[in-house]
Amino acid sequence: MRPAPNFVPKRAALFALAFLFAISGCASPPQAPENLLAPTEEQIKIRNMQTRTFDVSDRQAAMRGVIAALQDLGFIIERANESLGLVTAARFAEPNFFDVVGVTVTVRPASDTQMTIRANAIFNNEPITDPEVYQNFFATLERSLFIGRN
Amino acid sequence: MRTTIRSSSERLAALRAALLAATALVAGCSFGPKTTSKELFSLTPESAANKAMQTRQFETRDSDELLSASAAALQDLGFEVTESDRSLGFLRAAKERSAREYGQETTRFFVALLTFAVSVFGGQNALYVLPVDLQQQINASLVAQPIADDGDGARNEVRIVFYRLVWKGDGQSGNTYIPPGLQQMEMIRDAELYQRFFARLSKAIFLEAEKI
Amino acid sequence: MRPRPAGCALAAGLLGLAAAGCVGFPARHEIQGDNWVQVLLSDESQVKVRNAQSRVFDTTDRRSMLEALVATFQDLGFQIEVLDETLGIVSGKKYLDAERPSYSRDLASYLLYDEESLVVFNRVYRSWGPFQARSDLVRLTVTVRQRNVEQLIVRASAQYYLRPVEEPEAYQKFYAALEKALFAQRLAASP
Repeated sequence: MRPAPNFVPKRAALFALAFLFAISGCASPPQAPENLLAPTEEQIKIRNMQTRTFDVSDRQAAMRGVIAALQDLGFIIERANESLGLVTAARFAEPNFFDVVGVTVTVRPASDTQMTIRANAIFNNEPITDPEVYQNFFATLERSLFIGRN
Repeated sequence: MRTTIRSSSERLAALRAALLAATALVAGCSFGPKTTSKELFSLTPESAANKAMQTRQFETRDSDELLSASAAALQDLGFEVTESDRSLGFLRAAKERSAREYGQETTRFFVALLTFAVSVFGGQNALYVLPVDLQQQINASLVAQPIADDGDGARNEVRIVFYRLVWKGDGQSGNTYIPPGLQQMEMIRDAELYQRFFARLSKAIFLEAEKI
Repeated sequence: MRPRPAGCALAAGLLGLAAAGCVGFPARHEIQGDNWVQVLLSDESQVKVRNAQSRVFDTTDRRSMLEALVATFQDLGFQIEVLDETLGIVSGKKYLDAERPSYSRDLASYLLYDEESLVVFNRVYRSWGPFQARSDLVRLTVTVRQRNVEQLIVRASAQYYLRPVEEPEAYQKFYAALEKALFAQRLAASP
């Protein structure tokens, strides 16, 4: 018995096509919002408190001070890249190990004798907006930059 | 007949509640007060003690040599280097190991046995298979930096922190499958590991380390 | 009689549980009394292991040694993650095809699973991706240090399936490959 040359019934093929059209309508991804990549007002407000200028002329020395300060605060240094001026560190809100604080610090020259240091702190994936947190961090950083180190 | 079912299902509910509470503790849920982010950016009384444990000073001018010796010391302890930045004296290393323990496996079996028995008498599925520790990753993050010399030659300081992640396997709670991968992390505050590391580092550079 | 359809399933589940520790990928994880012992390392075995892992070379040309090591890493299929000439470190990892879980359901996200992610981004209640203990991960770190005025000492340490590789044979093969790379280098250098 020879099989028919075209034994896929036309109706089944039509159903398959219709099905595909139907589900493609269900699978439309949402449109990216216009300001997905734009800074929010909140982030612009906290940018000022996240940035400080220090009287350090050498970027490497400034970054060493940042690393030392972060280590003193109990942070684990995760990334340190001198050529990019970037240090990333994180720590746990011990003894509670469910909350994580992460901080990304960038060091850029502001002028011949000064460095601009910006610290982005995150608490459980949300940016920290409390100014006292940044004040505490920069106080520790200042101590680390100018006392006991070259 | 009805009375029996009611009391046994009550027992079942109570047992399930007790087991859930036990599991929550085991799973590492903490119900204590949360540390706010303000405190995390200030020095605490423990900071100085941790620093002393994690830091040693070396009388060597060459911080590159010190960093290279640190990598060799970490290799001695079974670590594999995962990141480095020479100009900042930064090294990161990790090692993955098994985290299975006899105690946990036994507990898992008996809890499952108990809940199985309870299910059989209660008529509902209350089988509880505890997820147990399976794998751990022990990490080290190290920085070697020069410090201000006090007249008798430049010195270098090495500061290292060890921490580990432990992952649990899968489990079962009644008819719900508990997927694997529950992650716990802990900072290692055991002085012996730090002492061993610095002992090996000293050997690697043939110099005496001084505690701060 | 009360019907107990769940009873058979539960019995099967319990039997399966008893054997659960013996099958699948956890079966090859070693069990110990306390998993803290893995954090420290015993001193006794270290001398033998260090000898098996190290080789001395009668050259002080660190750069060529590192180039040969990089070539060897590439020949062995390792992704190089750390490379520093001054520090003398070459480090990499690879994933063995043979050890990869066979079912394809989660393969795509398994391959994307990155255990090296930063702590900040890794803090999820359950680490994402199908957790299969990365049974296919092999790590290799090689350090090159000055032994004395005329010699370099190279030490290779590998990790396979959650254990450090301590068999001398594995390292003999590695150094054989390195010697070939060094030889090829010397040939290329001299016309």
